Parts: sequence; C-alpha cells; structure tokens
Amino acid sequence: MANASAIARESILLRITRANARGRRVPSAKIPPQAIFPPIHDVRARFLHESAGNLMEVFETADLSESATALESVLRSLPAGEIYVQDHPDLACFLADLKRSRPVRLSSQGAIAENSQAALTLAHAFVAQSGSILSSSMCGGRGASIVPPCHIVYGRAEQIVPEIDDALALAQRQVPEASYIGLISGSSRTADIEKILVQGAHGPRRLVVILEGQDPDFAVSRNRVNTVESAETFD
Amino acid sequence: MTRKVAIFVPCFVDQIAPQAAIDTVTVLRRIGCDVIFPEDQTCCGQPGFNTGHWEAARPCAEHFVRVFSPYDTIVCPSGSCTSMVRKHYPELLASSPLGGDAVALGQRVFEFAEFLVRVAAITDVGASFPHAVAYHPSCHGTRELGIYDEPMQLLRAVRGIDLRPLANESECCGFGGMFSTKFGMISAAMGDAKAVSLEKAGAEYVTTIDPSCLMHLGGIFGATRRKLKTIYLASILACMDGTAASEARL
Amino acid sequence: MSTAAQEFLQQAEIKASDLEHRALIQRGMASYESAFDKGRARFADWEAARARLSQIKEEALASLGQNLVEFEKRIVERGGQVHWAETAEQANDYVVELARARGVKTVVKSKSMVTEEIHLAPALEKAGVTVWETDLGEFIVQLRQERPYHIVTPAMHLSRYQIAELFREKLGENVEDADPAKLVAAARVALRKAFFSAEMGISGANFLVADTGMVALSTNEGNGRLTTSIPPIHVVVTGIEKVIPRLSDLAVFWPMLATSGTGQPITTYSTLVRGPRTKKENDGPREFHVVLVDNGRTGLLGNAETQEVLKCIRCGACLNICPIFRHVGGHTYGAIYPGPIGSIFTPRTAGLREWGHLSYACSLCNACKGVCPVKIDLPKQLLLARRDFVATANVKPAERAGFAGFRWATASARRFRWIGWLGGKVASTVRSIGLSGTSFDPTRAWTKYRAPIEFPRQTFRAWWRSNGKR
Repeated sequence: MANASAIARESILLRITRANARGRRVPSAKIPPQAIFPPIHDVRARFLHESAGNLMEVFETADLSESATALESVLRSLPAGEIYVQDHPDLACFLADLKRSRPVRLSSQGAIAENSQAALTLAHAFVAQSGSILSSSMCGGRGASIVPPCHIVYGRAEQIVPEIDDALALAQRQVPEASYIGLISGSSRTADIEKILVQGAHGPRRLVVILEGQDPDFAVSRNRVNTVESAETFD
Repeated sequence: MTRKVAIFVPCFVDQIAPQAAIDTVTVLRRIGCDVIFPEDQTCCGQPGFNTGHWEAARPCAEHFVRVFSPYDTIVCPSGSCTSMVRKHYPELLASSPLGGDAVALGQRVFEFAEFLVRVAAITDVGASFPHAVAYHPSCHGTRELGIYDEPMQLLRAVRGIDLRPLANESECCGFGGMFSTKFGMISAAMGDAKAVSLEKAGAEYVTTIDPSCLMHLGGIFGATRRKLKTIYLASILACMDGTAASEARL
Repeated sequence: MSTAAQEFLQQAEIKASDLEHRALIQRGMASYESAFDKGRARFADWEAARARLSQIKEEALASLGQNLVEFEKRIVERGGQVHWAETAEQANDYVVELARARGVKTVVKSKSMVTEEIHLAPALEKAGVTVWETDLGEFIVQLRQERPYHIVTPAMHLSRYQIAELFREKLGENVEDADPAKLVAAARVALRKAFFSAEMGISGANFLVADTGMVALSTNEGNGRLTTSIPPIHVVVTGIEKVIPRLSDLAVFWPMLATSGTGQPITTYSTLVRGPRTKKENDGPREFHVVLVDNGRTGLLGNAETQEVLKCIRCGACLNICPIFRHVGGHTYGAIYPGPIGSIFTPRTAGLREWGHLSYACSLCNACKGVCPVKIDLPKQLLLARRDFVATANVKPAERAGFAGFRWATASARRFRWIGWLGGKVASTVRSIGLSGTSFDPTRAWTKYRAPIEFPRQTFRAWWRSNGKR
C-alpha cells in the first residue's frame, strides 16, 4: 500500500509540475480582507448581535457571583445527570456548587461520557464578526463541545476579538499543539427537511455563553432569542 | 438629429418575425435616424457558436465583420445577437485576421433599447399603448450586456401603458437557442413557469428586447392555450394610436 | 447518442412535467434565495470578496505541488499519514485495506462529494463493512438507496411526508404529523448508536490548509464533529484541488462558503483538524489518515481553458440559481455533481463522449456566472466543453450536415437568401400536404412543445426592397 502511494505521489506531483510549467505565474492574492467586511466598531455589541442571530444563549454577568447564579439557572433547566467540566483553575470556583447538585466528571478523568447532560468549558476567544466561540481540543477535549445536549462556555468579555482572521491567528499562538480547533457559531442544526430549521441535530441543542465583565451596571439578564429571521434556511 | 444607423436584422427575425425589425426601423426613423440595411448581411453566427460548431460560426462572423465594418453605428433588435458580436467575437475570431476589427466593431454594435437610451439619449419616443404589459428582462440583455433599466425607461414613457411587475423576472424563459429543440421538454417547462408568472402578474402582453424569447414564449402560449400575447419592445414603441402595428406577430 | 444522454432525456421528460416537484423545489430555492440575498448584504464588498477568493484559488492552483507537499509534511510531523491516489480505485483500495487491517466493522461518514465520486461506500460494503451516512440528508438518501439530489442539501427533493414514510418503513419509527423536529430526533437516535460503535470515521474536506497542515470541515449538524472526534480512526478523503496556501485565507473562505451555500454568515461548526489526539488530549482519534485523490483533476491543470473548474469550492450556488436544475432536479443529470458545475466537471473528468451532452443541457442564461463565489465563468466553460465535444465526440450526422450548410450559407448573402427562401418553401409545403409533426417536418423538434411557427407573407429583406427604403 505504502509503495502504491509513493508511486501515485510521484506521478501526481510530476503531472502538476509539468502542467504548472505550462501555465502562467499567478501572484499572491492582493485584495485585503479589510475591503471585504464592514468595520466593527463595538466588538461587544457585535458579538451579542451575531450570537443572538446564531441562536446562542448569552448571559452577561458583572462578576463571579453573577456568573455562578447564571450557571445555576442553566443547570436547573437541564434533566438530571452528569455534567462534564474542563479541569481548569478558572472553572474550579464553580465545582463545589456543581457537585452539590449533580455528578461531575472532570476532563482530567477522561473523555466526556455519551450520556452527559452538559459540558462546562472555557473558550480561547469569542468572535464578534460571526458570533462564534473559538474552542479546541484543549477546552476539555473534542467531545465536550459536541457530545452533550448542552454546551456551556464561561469566558470574559475581554476575550472578544473582532474578526475571524484574529481568531485564527490567536489559535495559532495560543494552542499550536491542539489537534482540533473550531469556531462554533450556535447550536447544532439542520434544515435538510424542506429547508425547515431544526435545532439539535447531532450536537448540542443549546450553546450557552456566560460572558463576564466589562459592563458593571448590567444585571444578570437572559438574552435568549426565540425567533431570528436570518436563521430560517440552514442546511 | 440625423444619425446614420445601419441595422443588423437577425436571421430568424428576417425570416419569421420581420415586423420586429420593421418596427425598429419605424422608431429609429421617428427619432431622426437615417436607417441603412446593408443587404449583404446574413447572421451573427450564434447558432453555430453556441452549439460548439465554431468552425461553422467563424466564416459567418467574419462575413458579419466585413459587412458592418464600414458603419459607425449598428443597431440590432436583439440583445442576444448584439452580445454575440460584442462579447463572443473576440474569442471566436481570436486567431482570425479580422480579430482586431471584430473587437472594434463590438463597441459600435448596440442593442435597440441600449441605443435609444444610452447613445441617442431618448426615452420618450411618443408611443401610446394602453395595455397591461409585463417586461421580461432577457438573460443576454441583462447578464451579458448589462441592460437593466433602459427598456423600462422607454416603457415608462409610453402613454397609457399599465406596467405589471413580474415575479422571478430574472429567471430564463427557456429559449436558449438550440437548447429549445435539443431539450424541448425542459425548455417548454421553463416557458410554462414563465407563463404562470406572467398570468399571475395580470399581464396581457409580455415584451422584451429579445424577439427570440418571444418566439419561444408565443409558441408555448399557443400550445398551452393561454391568452397571453407577445410583443417586441420596438413594436410597442412604434404604436402611436394605441393599437399594435402587428399584434402578436412573433 | 451515449447511454447517459438517452437516460438524461428520459428523466428530463418525466421531471420537467412534474408540477409537484417543481413546486417543492421552487419553495426550497425561494427560501435559499432570500437567505442568500441577506447573507450577501452582510459584506462590505461582495464583489471584492469574490475577486479575492478567485485570486487565492488561482494562486493555490499555480503552486499546487508545493502546497500539497507542505500540507503532507505538516500532517506527517504530527503523526498523521498521507496517502496519494491517482484513481478512484486506488483511493478505495487504501481505505478498504485499512478497514480490513484494523478489523473495522462499522464506519460513520460525514458528507463528502469526493467519496460519492469514487464510490467509496459501496466498496466498503462489498468488503463487509457497514457504512452509515450521518448527514441527515445523506442518511435519508442512503435509506432510499439514492444518490444525493443536491451537493449541499441531498434530500431536498423529498417532502417531510415522504421522509416520515421512509422512517416508518426503514427505522420502524412512527413520527407524528411528519414533524421535522421529530424526524430529526428519530435520525439522531439511530445515528448516535452508530457514532459510538463505529471503529472508523470518514470525512471529506472543504479545504486543506498548506501552511499549518490542517483539514477544514464545515458542517451545521455537528455530524462532521462527531465523525472526527469519536471513532478511533479518522480518514479524510479529499480531492487534491482543495488545498489553499494559508490558514488566514479561511477568514474569507468560511463566510463565503456559508453564504453561498445556505445564506448563513458562517457554518455552525467550522472545524480544523490536523492529526490524531496528542498525549495531552483525552479524546479524539488515535489514527489520522488523509487520502489525496487525483481522479482526473491533474488533467485539467495547466490548461488555461479548463483549469478554472478546479477553483470550485462545492458551495452549490450555481445549482440553486440554475433554471435547468430547478426544472429537472439533481438526479436527472445521472452524474455525481449535478447542475452547471457538474455539467462541466463531469464531461471534463469522466469523458466528453459519454457526458458531453450535459454541457448542452443549459440555456446559457448566465445566472450561475453571477453567483459563483470563486468567479468561475461557467457559461464560457460550457461553451468550451461544447466546442471540444464537437471536435472529439460523435455528433449526430444530421447536426454536422446542418452546420456545414450553415457555414456555407451564412458566409454569403446570396446563398443565405436562397437557403431562407428554400426553408420557407419546405416548411409551407410540408404543412400544405399535411406532414406537419411527422419526421418530414423540419420544425418538428420545435412544434413538439410549441404552437406551429407562422411564416410571414414576406421577409424583412423583401419588405426593405419593396417599401422599406425611403
């Protein structure tokens, strides 16, 4: 098999070299991405707007105690069962409360179980342009963000970056070792049946973000969007 | 204004829909053009080119270039044929000795509505047509030549006209040259979908800048026993007393 | 005429007159179009975005060899394996052999057009491996033993009621009122078992990133994430033309792909994977394989006329806008890739002789050209394919003779007038002796679907001579 691959490799690369010697040289792409997307003036406002469009639930909290309250309210809405938590100092503060209400499994104890009710993880960044979270296998593993019916992400407002480009660059700097990196922009969904949007196809039906800091006057509020016009036709 | 204008009459217009060209001449003369019909003209070559028979289309295109090169302004009652000359001759005649002339000529050939509005700067030709009309933006007129608003400007200036907005207006009527016979069943279904839109629009007539679309649609209307009628844009503009010179001639 | 051409005509005849099909597709496409319009409005400069993607793709193709080698190097550095395949057979052999060597009994697959192209699933099944398509649309067409109808929405030709009936029959699930949410839930349950029992996950790739050695995958359902996260072996099967130079290029490709495909700002799961799990990671596959498939692609490279087909990112925008697709549907084409791009890609890679007819199944309306996010001049590609079809393949003798006559007649006004006169005479004679619609009627192909052509009393030429000149 390895031999067949090596022969195919040589032959494909030779054909490419010959073909490209006939073709004209093409310079690097010149149009800067800045010309393509409208400028983002207020990254927080944009993130909130886009994440709502992506049918994400965002809780804006002022401090740790508000975040704990928000987390508790989300967990109360979930069926009984295990919660999976990324083993990280920034999430350790929630563990005592969590363990009182339901079984907890830490990422240091292994991969997420198939029947976990929720995963609580951090994110590397939030992306204003697309209302996404930047996650990776360093955030509790690959399965944490896709196996359970609910994924809860705890982060700070300073983590919002303006554009996808910034997020990709940040991922390269922060987690060069991760075997998986992903932008997650809302709950799992499909519109494969008559183009009708259904949430919770194979992955989480709910993607919750607890966004802490920067806006001290803001009380715990539930920014849950029920209908979003742009979300009617997903595949 | 006296402007010397040569007209190119597409082969099928000459043979099957001459009234479209006659009305074109009428309107051009009304606005003061001195119209010439170079009698050596034949066809633009599009049937051959679009079907892949470039060897058959090339002598035809070369003939076109020779016949029309002496003229400064050429007007054509067809968006599609205009586009053939302007957009496709450079490719078809790339290696022909007439290639350079073809490129230059392409800049002097104008579709009829394009000529009136962009070149002659006229939108009101004094026409009157008190009927419910829907405008079908033809594919080659819009997407190849960029003629979007010019025909509408002309139509809006027509006395008594009741212009009906058309749903899915940019969708092809299904003609497509040889496509209409090679894949008649698809072509007919597309024409039928267009007819449904036209009926929903409450149109009595459909008009456009491409008589070929109308030839096809007229055939579909006839075969499906619809009351809709076709009329070429110049035939509306040629009307001054409210009756079409040639009703549904196409 | 080739067999494929005959089948196309038969299927087109059925679908073109199927008004239920027309209504279903019109509804789906209308909803896509409004989302697409809104999606485009989110860009400051959509045309600049198209120009940039086109440039990046041209650049990527001009340095295809270097990009692939760099991609391979990075994947291997991180413990992945790269396998090269010149043909579909080689690619299938590799995957089947790997499955056999690892004792794989069940495979979960996320949506991948290239695996359809090389017929990977049947090859695996022949080797005794159970294959689960996990994209909902693909799962549905797999249960129906059909090909995907559309490259982005494979089951868009089916109503929810047909899907409910299918699930009742094949999964034993009775879904009330054919509620889409309940149908999705039923599929989720069935596929969940497969995800957690499969020993191998097979995905395609939307992009291969050369500078960081990553495979980019876009999915909304999350099936691509599960396929690449849960089973112990992940195999990526991808065409060689998917490689792009830089990770940062995705900052434009991702939004453009999502907008063109579904109107979304970005696909829900925009995923990058670059190898098996590391020592620090607690899950993910233990083996990571990438199969780079040529299967005719290098044959298009280096030819200025055909190369641009390789820029395609499989977004489906040209299918969605195509009036032919809307009337005949995806299955009629008989090819893996339907619609405008398929009508170019298929004849160019699988042979003009068998598939050249697809390039003619187009009214040259140019709608696709305006929506293609990588600016492929699709109508021009179709014209070039037709030209090459005429030069190399078997055109009907009558058509060849007809165009020989066209060539002869149109190069001279005298001959042209004579042919015009003759044509008119033949047509009126045929009608007057009652042969209309028979094989003696030269307008038969026209009048089969349309009212007869009414020939005028005089041609324009005659009018000009008699009273046109002033």
